[in-house]
Amino acid sequence: MSMIERVLYWLAIVVLIVGLIGLKSQISDLEKKAQSAQVQLQEGGEE
Amino acid sequence: MNPKIERAIYIGLIVVLAGLLVSFGKKEVELQKQIPVTAQELYKKLANPNVNIQIIDVRPYEPEDEDYDDEYLYYTDIHLPGAIPLPDCDESKAPEEAVEQINPYIPTIIVSRDGDPEIFKKCAQKFKIAQNLAGGVVAWDEAGLPTEDGEYEPPKMGGGGGCL
Repeated sequence: MSMIERVLYWLAIVVLIVGLIGLKSQISDLEKKAQSAQVQLQEGGEE
Repeated sequence: MNPKIERAIYIGLIVVLAGLLVSFGKKEVELQKQIPVTAQELYKKLANPNVNIQIIDVRPYEPEDEDYDDEYLYYTDIHLPGAIPLPDCDESKAPEEAVEQINPYIPTIIVSRDGDPEIFKKCAQKFKIAQNLAGGVVAWDEAGLPTEDGEYEPPKMGGGGGCL
């Protein structure tokens, strides 16, 4: 396997890992928002 | 190391990471469905010409009799600019020209009278990406954002509606 091929594989892996980290932080952000929306909805229902 | 084995390891790793990325993406879409969009957030989105979004109004289309005192009950009384009427999320109750404009594959905002989560849940299944408008058309109007009234008019040059 050539060095170029190896570098390309690593590049793809790094891009995917960066994408995963970005998506993971977005998901935890959304989870917080969803939780607060759920709480608001429950409070609204109790009123 | 044998180049074939090394290549297989790299490809395997890439496939696993790509699979994770796809599942995270699906989770993100599911989470987005649970978060209602506020009137101000929606207004900002609609003001951006690069954002392709459609607004689906699930309230009854027009009053059957004149005797009512809730101005937010019917589509023809007040609606968001460009909103497509789809009463009860039922195509058979919507005007024909409105049904033609509905695209289930673009991001969709479901608008009810007051952001009813039940009708949103029912309607969200019909669209790939759907969000509820928090507070519905009442919140939109109370925020002082632009509204329209009257019958549904499809956009002149294609598009899915929903632009200000």
